Amino acid sequence: MSSKFTSIPDEIYLLCILHNIGATEPNRALTLEEIARWTAMDHFKAEQSLNKLIENKYIEVIEAMGAKKYFVSVGGIRKVLSMYS
Amino acid sequence: MNICILSWEYPPRIVGGISRHCHGLARALTKMGHSVHLVTLDFPGAPYYEEEEGVKIHRTSVELGHPNFIVWVFLFNHFMEKKVAMLSKHEKFEIIHAHDWLVAPASISSKHYLNVPLVSTIHSTEVGRSRGLHNSDSYLIDGIEWWLTYESKRIIVVSDSIKREVKEHFHLPDEKIDVIPNAIDPSKYNVSINRDEVKRRFSIDPSERIVLFIGRLVPQKGVEYLIMAAPKIIGQHPEARIVIVGDGWSKDYLMRLASSTGCQHKITFLGFLSDQDLIELTLSSDVLVVPSIYEPFGIVALEGMAAGVPVVASNTGGLSEIIEHDKTGFLAYKENPDSIAWGVNKILSDPGYASWLMQNAKRKINEVYSWNAVAKRTVETYEKALWG
Repeated sequence: MSSKFTSIPDEIYLLCILHNIGATEPNRALTLEEIARWTAMDHFKAEQSLNKLIENKYIEVIEAMGAKKYFVSVGGIRKVLSMYS
Repeated sequence: MNICILSWEYPPRIVGGISRHCHGLARALTKMGHSVHLVTLDFPGAPYYEEEEGVKIHRTSVELGHPNFIVWVFLFNHFMEKKVAMLSKHEKFEIIHAHDWLVAPASISSKHYLNVPLVSTIHSTEVGRSRGLHNSDSYLIDGIEWWLTYESKRIIVVSDSIKREVKEHFHLPDEKIDVIPNAIDPSKYNVSINRDEVKRRFSIDPSERIVLFIGRLVPQKGVEYLIMAAPKIIGQHPEARIVIVGDGWSKDYLMRLASSTGCQHKITFLGFLSDQDLIELTLSSDVLVVPSIYEPFGIVALEGMAAGVPVVASNTGGLSEIIEHDKTGFLAYKENPDSIAWGVNKILSDPGYASWLMQNAKRKINEVYSWNAVAKRTVETYEKALWG
């Protein structure tokens, strides 16, 4: 299964991590800083990947206390699960 | 009988065939008068508890996460096990029924502390899905699959091909394994639709004929072979459009491959669709292609047959058992775009042949693949686990 993950794009890798750590609903959404920490990606790369995921509707964004927070959408959950099933 | 089914997916959490299988089986068992509790994972918008057609559905929240998938699986199994333990304070379960390795830890623990038999359905194997064991995660999953088969009193598999695979790979005694096929509910296709309107809704011209693929966009489904067949299909049938429904990690690669064929204007990727859209699109299609490389059963082929859509499928695994070549469908050589194109073109060119396949296929669905029949056989397996 790991071989799949070494060959998948960065944004899908990031999507999987967000799913596995439970950022799948608004009250468990994470900031860019938190996502960069979990994924060990630099901010620029993490933000670039998030923007691509938002464009594809796999990630949703909310504003909480002046900060943008990100969580995996229903479509994003299905995208991740399709890799594991 | 009081049955506790564990599955990591259940509608609306639909990933692959397991979700639909558990849904059909649970409802059919309930109709037979059994009590069915289904323990699964939560999904946005779905209640933590609901009763649907008598099936008691318990959705578990995974309160802790981890970036590593396998660690996450063990974490959610902990929460599932906790749910089964809480339910067992009021329910006296007689059977635990696990679906695939993903729920193995919770199912095995539940079996031991409830002291009831464990029955497992193995829908596919890691060695089959990944075409070998190539890394540490695969070895671990393979080990968990073996552990599940070892701990289970009885094993259910969905086809003779996966029985052979499971028996040989896990060194299981033949008599421990029951082959019970998947089933579908053909009545859902008894709806009247306006094909032109359905096509327009998906930006398909009403004059076009749909060559449909439904499934996860992962290598085992072989979508690339259908895409590679596109030039030969479009060359002979310019009115054809290849429509790909589903999502998965190889979607970007497949879209690039489609662009390289020169037929990208005739290949549409629709992503994930709702059940209703899927039914209407299937009914509006002219051919369903199932080009899988590895397919222990191939429930999507049954869906096409029930909907009255001629099926072209790879001659592999369960598909070879479901489809009788040139009678209930067309079996193409595995990983062979030319063979897929030949089958699709034959169906598109010869309405009489297409109609003959459809009629035979529908008859077979009604005779063999009903949920009532599958539930009855599953209960026989439960009885063997309890008293055999």
